[in-house]
Amino acid sequence: MRLLFELGLRNLVAHRIKSIVVGGILFFGVLMVVVGGALLDSIRQSMARSITSSLAGDAQVYAADSPDELELFPMGAGGAVDYGEILDFPKVRDALKGVDNVREVVPMGITSAIVFGTPEIDRVLAGLRDAIDQQDLPAREAWIAHTRVIVDGLGRDLAASRASMRDQAEVDAQLAVLARVGQDAFWDELRADPAPALELLDTKVAPLAVDGKLLYLRVIGTELDVFSKNFSSFQLIEGSLPPPGEPGILLASRFYERQVKDKVARDLDALAEGVAAGDTIAGTSTLTLTASRLPKQVQTLLVQIPPSEAGSVRDRIASELGVDGDLRACLSALLTVDDSTLAARRALFYEVVAPHIRLYEVPVGQEVVLRSFTKSGYQRATAVKVWGVFTFTGLEGSDLAGFSNLVDMETFRSMYGRLTAAQQDELAGIRAAAGVADISREDAEAALFGGGPAEPVAQAAPTERAPEGASTLALNAAVVFDDPSRGPQTLEALREKVAADGLKLDVVDWQAAAGLVGQIISVLEVILVVAIGIIFLVALVILNNTMVMTTLDRTTEIGTLRAIGAPKVFVIAMFLVETLVLALIAGALGAAVGVGFVLWLGHVGIPAVADIMVLLFAGKRLYPEVGANNALLGAAVVTVVAVLSTLYPAFLASRVPPVVAMQGKD
Amino acid sequence: MIGLLLWAGLAAAAPTADEMVSKLATIDDRQRNSGDYKSTVYIETKESGKSDLIYLAEVFRRDESDKLVIMFTKPAAEAGKGYLRVDDSLFLYDPTVGKWERRTERESIGGTDSNRADFDESRLAEEFTPSYVGQESLGKYTADRLKLVAKEGIDVAYPTIELWIDQASGNTLKRQDFALSGRLMRTTYYPEWQQTMSASKGAPVWFPREIRIYDEVEKGNQTVIVFQQVVLDPLDDSIFTKAWLEARSR
Repeated sequence: MRLLFELGLRNLVAHRIKSIVVGGILFFGVLMVVVGGALLDSIRQSMARSITSSLAGDAQVYAADSPDELELFPMGAGGAVDYGEILDFPKVRDALKGVDNVREVVPMGITSAIVFGTPEIDRVLAGLRDAIDQQDLPAREAWIAHTRVIVDGLGRDLAASRASMRDQAEVDAQLAVLARVGQDAFWDELRADPAPALELLDTKVAPLAVDGKLLYLRVIGTELDVFSKNFSSFQLIEGSLPPPGEPGILLASRFYERQVKDKVARDLDALAEGVAAGDTIAGTSTLTLTASRLPKQVQTLLVQIPPSEAGSVRDRIASELGVDGDLRACLSALLTVDDSTLAARRALFYEVVAPHIRLYEVPVGQEVVLRSFTKSGYQRATAVKVWGVFTFTGLEGSDLAGFSNLVDMETFRSMYGRLTAAQQDELAGIRAAAGVADISREDAEAALFGGGPAEPVAQAAPTERAPEGASTLALNAAVVFDDPSRGPQTLEALREKVAADGLKLDVVDWQAAAGLVGQIISVLEVILVVAIGIIFLVALVILNNTMVMTTLDRTTEIGTLRAIGAPKVFVIAMFLVETLVLALIAGALGAAVGVGFVLWLGHVGIPAVADIMVLLFAGKRLYPEVGANNALLGAAVVTVVAVLSTLYPAFLASRVPPVVAMQGKD
Repeated sequence: MIGLLLWAGLAAAAPTADEMVSKLATIDDRQRNSGDYKSTVYIETKESGKSDLIYLAEVFRRDESDKLVIMFTKPAAEAGKGYLRVDDSLFLYDPTVGKWERRTERESIGGTDSNRADFDESRLAEEFTPSYVGQESLGKYTADRLKLVAKEGIDVAYPTIELWIDQASGNTLKRQDFALSGRLMRTTYYPEWQQTMSASKGAPVWFPREIRIYDEVEKGNQTVIVFQQVVLDPLDDSIFTKAWLEARSR
């Protein structure tokens, strides 16, 4: 054995070019196995943490007859989805909580809603109308003063843009209305007879203002207290959970900051974030553009600041910035920022201006009207209080995780709007009383104009009545395990329980529940395996060819060995040991460099440059770890490849007859 | 030669631009009531794969001052919701949240395939410029087919429409609405018209008893509107105010 080892070393040195080429390929193969394996393991762990601790739990259950597959983290806009219904959730919870290792079953329901932001003028006019209705004269006068500020701004904007408008006559008519509303006489008329003046403000003045913003919300209904206790990433960063039994919505922090927040504040935040990341306003085009449009948004602030507070705001800005002029001029100066003034002016904005404007369209503590389409198609408006703002720790920068807002189950059920049997009966009664014929598009012209009254077609039979589910409905549920490492066995036990109790549910693991996002790890695995496979296939072919060439080069040597009595097995062993020594040296080097590289990555972190990577990395950076298994796997793979590639040349060498050496042939 | 004769015949039959505008004005005028208008309306929308949407609503109109109120009365869960249109402004009120919202002309009423214009005064001559397409048969009826393009600066639900007008009665039988891209969006049929004597106008007022709207984008979706009862008596001024709808909804 020692002789074989020495011979192997000697041959490696004697054929050093071959050794370097083959060793290099094996080195990179092992490096890839170690680094790739360590990265995949780390991503799998971080992704599992992201998904299970935020929305999915360790498993999810939903209706077996669901038309769509559950996708808790939808990629892209997506359309309307239908995950079926769990009509009796308490029954499902009781059944599944009896399964070993199940800690909690959290009900859920995914839907969407729109919030129509109220334009400032509509908000002010609503306040004015209320003050008049309640005969609150001081409030009425305050709202009148506020309305006049807005009207003044509208007049300025309209007059400034008149020259560029196509229909100048129409603009002149609008300016005439604004001029009339700008007169004291108009407000005296309003005080004397509010209705006509309010109508004119509503219908002639308010439409001239910019529309309010639309907010599109992804909403997940759940039991908020149970959710907060069982999803470890959940973190309330403002406000509180609704008291037990009270309806409420918790807004996702990223959605709150990126969508709900005032545009001026968002722009200032974006500039600050850019600068913090090392960019400059002067040198980065996106920041330059953002900074250049800030002063143009003065009007949006002006209309929000109540006239009674305008003086103090103006004075403070004027004294801090050393500028002169009215509030408009001061705000314009405040919003004119460059790299040297950004920090101070942003701080001044938050300190002086923000308290007097609607910094958030729907702030914590206020009510928001969620508009949704119910399951049966009716528009539903649900007013619910914003109790707080939350985030999922580590996923603060992820849009995929950061745009799902949470509401209590009762609010979700109201938005979902499943028709009760009584409601279905009511609709059937209204329809029967109307006696309307059912005519398809294809038959319409013949039936309606064919020469006589349309033949009534029998109405479709009423749809089968489904169980109520009014207060027990859920669309899916998260199952949280005591010990996630026993996941596969618990999943199996859950499936058995579901089948035994006839619950008609699908049980899926967190990876399947996540949707496409969950499949990314599988895709990465395939890519890594294919890449490593290609490398080792190339290594195998090159190694094989090189060894064959070596065999031909060393015919005399082999013949001599055979002539002095070396059996065929010895020749085969000699070649195998030679390759194994090379594989061991290259493998050890590759594994050492790979481990070192992963350790370095673990120290500096890999930045998440895309939204999806934030979810995969469970944060803005992935700090990978390497285990002994990664190095051992690399060593095992390189050994197998080395042996496989040497078998044929070794066999070839063993067939060299001793006579070849005596003949001195190559 | 035959083609030339046909072209000549068509040219002879085609109405002039003024005649077409006059025809539209007649349609508008026949439906216009100088006084007030109230009706009870049944609205039903079918969408493939979904439950039917069914409403009963009261519609109040005062064409003289461009005002319209649509208030849902049934089903119970929808009762009290309503739209108020004054001039070019359309507002939606929802009693469950007690708030008004400004909506656009294209707002679909109650999530159905109908919009404000389906319940409002006909203003074809005022809003569109017509051109003649030809004469066509529609079942037992012979109709003039006109293409109408919205006038600049006027906010209408669809920028181009085509109308089939019964030559005998002058009533609209069919209407097709097109998007700006030219895509056909919906086809509407008016199979039945009725007339009621208006005291304020001193002449009969025409109105469709039934409107059937077929969605041409989402095939299989359709809406039926039945005007069950039309009354042309004067209405109280207070009806066309936010306060009235709020009070009725309580």
